[in-house]
Parts: sequence; C-alpha cells; structure tokens
Amino acid sequence: MHINPDKCVGCGSCVPYCPMRAISVTDVAVVDQDECVECDICYRAGVCPVDAFELPVLEYPRILRQVFSDPLVSHPGTNVPGRGTEEMKTNEVTGRFRRGHVGIAVELGRPGTGTRLYNAEKVAQAVAPFGVKFEKHNPLTQLMVDENTGKFKEDCLQEKVLSAIVEFDCLEEQVVPILTAIKEVAKDLDTVFSLDICSRTREDGTVPSEELAKKAGFTPSLNGKTNVGLGRPLAEEE
Amino acid sequence: MTHTLHRSGNPSSLEQDYVVFAIAAQGFNSEGSIPKFEQFANIALKYNPVNFGDMKQGNVFMMEKEEILKNFKENSIVHAVFTDKDTVLACLKEIKEADIGLSIVVSGLIHDTAVACKSAGTAPHTVEHSLGIHGATEKLPSQAVRDISTMCGHGMVAFSLVEHLVDEVKKGRTSLEKASQELAKQCVCGVFNPARAAEIIEKLL
Repeated sequence: MHINPDKCVGCGSCVPYCPMRAISVTDVAVVDQDECVECDICYRAGVCPVDAFELPVLEYPRILRQVFSDPLVSHPGTNVPGRGTEEMKTNEVTGRFRRGHVGIAVELGRPGTGTRLYNAEKVAQAVAPFGVKFEKHNPLTQLMVDENTGKFKEDCLQEKVLSAIVEFDCLEEQVVPILTAIKEVAKDLDTVFSLDICSRTREDGTVPSEELAKKAGFTPSLNGKTNVGLGRPLAEEE
Repeated sequence: MTHTLHRSGNPSSLEQDYVVFAIAAQGFNSEGSIPKFEQFANIALKYNPVNFGDMKQGNVFMMEKEEILKNFKENSIVHAVFTDKDTVLACLKEIKEADIGLSIVVSGLIHDTAVACKSAGTAPHTVEHSLGIHGATEKLPSQAVRDISTMCGHGMVAFSLVEHLVDEVKKGRTSLEKASQELAKQCVCGVFNPARAAEIIEKLL
C-alpha cells in the first residue's frame, strides 16, 4: 500500500485499522513497506478524509502478500476466494476427506500477527517426512519446489503475509506423531499459528480426529465447524 | 481455510455465536448455483441474522442487503450470523426442507450443532475442531481483544482497531453499537458477530 504524501494530512485515522501496525505518522502517514502485507484493509476502511491511499501495481514475489492477505482475491485455478480452500466445507460433495483419513491445517500468522513465509516452510518441512499429502489447490503448496521435503521457492521466503495455511491430508494412524512434530517445530517459529483438524464422522456420530487430537495431548475446541451433509450430488462412498 | 473456525471465548459467550453458511463445490455443483444462493439467503434472512454477507461482495455493514442479494456469483460463500441455537435449528430445518443442494456449514458449539442436525433431519457429515493457538503466543494481545478479533477469520479486524474502539467507547467518543458495527464492517465476508462484540466490549468498560 502506498499513501500519497502530497495528499495526506497526517490525521492518523487510518493507523488503528492496519493489522500489522505498519502505518505511522510523523508529519504525514507512512507505510512500512517491509511490514505491509498488502491486505488493503486500510484502503477499504474508507476512513481517509482526503483519499490519500493508492493501490500499487504488485509484481512477484511481492504480489504473494496480497494473495495471502486479501480475502477478496480468488485464486486462479481454484476459483475459491480467501487464502485457503474449500476443505471440509464441501466434503460431502467432493469426497476430499474419506473415512480413515484426517485433514490438518496449520495457519501461520493467525490470529492477527502475520508471518514471513519461512515459518510456513519450517512447518511444511516438519510434516513432509511423514508422507503427508499437501493440498494441491492451496496457494502455499504451489510455492513448494519439492512436496517430499516441504522446500519452498527461495525467493518467496521473506515475504510477509497476514496468514498462510499448511494444509494436508494424512492417515488416522499418522495423526499423533504428526501433531507431536508440529508441537516441536512451534518452538522454532517467530510467529503464532492456529491449528485445526477435521474428519468424516463415523456412523455413530463420533469424530475420529477429535479423539486422535486428545490422544496427542491437545484439547479440541467446544466450538467448530460442522458440514451438515446437505450438498448434492453426494460423493460416492469409498 | 477455516474462516469461521478458531473463534475464541468462554462457553457462555460462545453459546451466542453461530454462523450458518452456504458454499458450492467448484467443478462439482457450482454451475447454475446462483439461484441456490438466493434461495439460501432468503431463508436465512427470515431469521433476522445479526450479520449477513457474501465473501465475493461484502457484508450488510458495508453495502445494502438488496445489492448483495442481486449479485451472487457461482463461487460466492454466503453467511448469516445468529446468536442462539434455537434460531439456528429453525433455520436449518427450513434449509433442509428446501433441499437446495449447496453445502451447508454450521460454525458454533459442536454438540449443540449435532443436536440441531438431528432435529432438522440431517446429521454431521464432517467436523472440524480448533486445537488452539501455538508458537510465539507472547505476541498476542489480551484474551478479550482476541475474543473479538477472532470473529473475523481472515484477520481483517486488527487487534489495534479493537483496542482503539474500546478506548473510544470508554472515553464516550462513540457508542457500543457504533463501535461493534465499525468492527463488523471490516470483516468483508459478514461472519463477524457485532452483538457478541458489543457484549464483550461492555464488560471491558
């Protein structure tokens, strides 16, 4: 984001809207370009009395900041708005998570803290040795040069984004060691992450992923997301 | 992923926080889905949600509801926010009876959602839990600020904005209602719960 210094009156109205606290005011407001994640929140907030915000034309790798930070941007190839995928939201139709499989997502930088992409690479490299299946439609997976190791393209690692999701599918029996590895790598990160887990319910309504998370020493939340199974046509059962 | 997950708070506060949304599976049933989004929206709006929006357009605090209803896309994700489980149940029942064919997700207390599913004549298909926040948690603000900010899963409601507006209410420069609506305006998808935000802010005064 760019603030036109010739227009800005230095009122500071925009300052609290920036989730990265990247805007400061001396005589006029200035955006710290290294901290800015190009989420456009300041622009959309519409609080500038003199329309001093100017949307820059972004090129690679900086455009990655916008792709991972502005939820109004849909990803080419998936047509899904936001920085993630449809994941379990459409599972009854897509059959993405089958019985016996578990979905895990590690969202770096969430809540509200942001992340450099090197943190995401660290997590990807921690889980890749388990042979996990990284979600191919996730924009982060598309930055990997080797899904077997979780290695990312070198030129993207320093880019800062609002959040980025390492998203994968694994077998039920892999869940406990994978969650243990995630706990370990958490110590090497300079940001926070929100962790989640999902699975198809059993016939009796119990949730395998919930049980496995408890076994790994985590406390699953009381609230969460439930796909209530009304999408049609239904995916064929395996 | 998970734009309505990871909403933090104590159980009594979370009892007042449900998001019901509709989504089409791209490449599976997205073609011709626009009238289905309209059908879902018209049902959801009958139950007076405290927020309503489309991830492709915006929410009712940013634009007119009628404008949103006219401009759904095949990749829209349409949300309605409610503050009690009974309303969610009634809404879900009507959605089930309408047999719309879009995927419907309820974000809220998982046990109560399962009960609502049963009463509505359906059952949880897939369930997703948050396993909490990890890593450099010393960077996080107070729990109350997080409880408000996490109601926008895309991080559009900055911690600093919550802190600023709480301060403005304390100083009498704005009202609880205006502050919570200003917060809701930032969350473009319309999944932020301004009623719950107002309650949390009130406790901070």
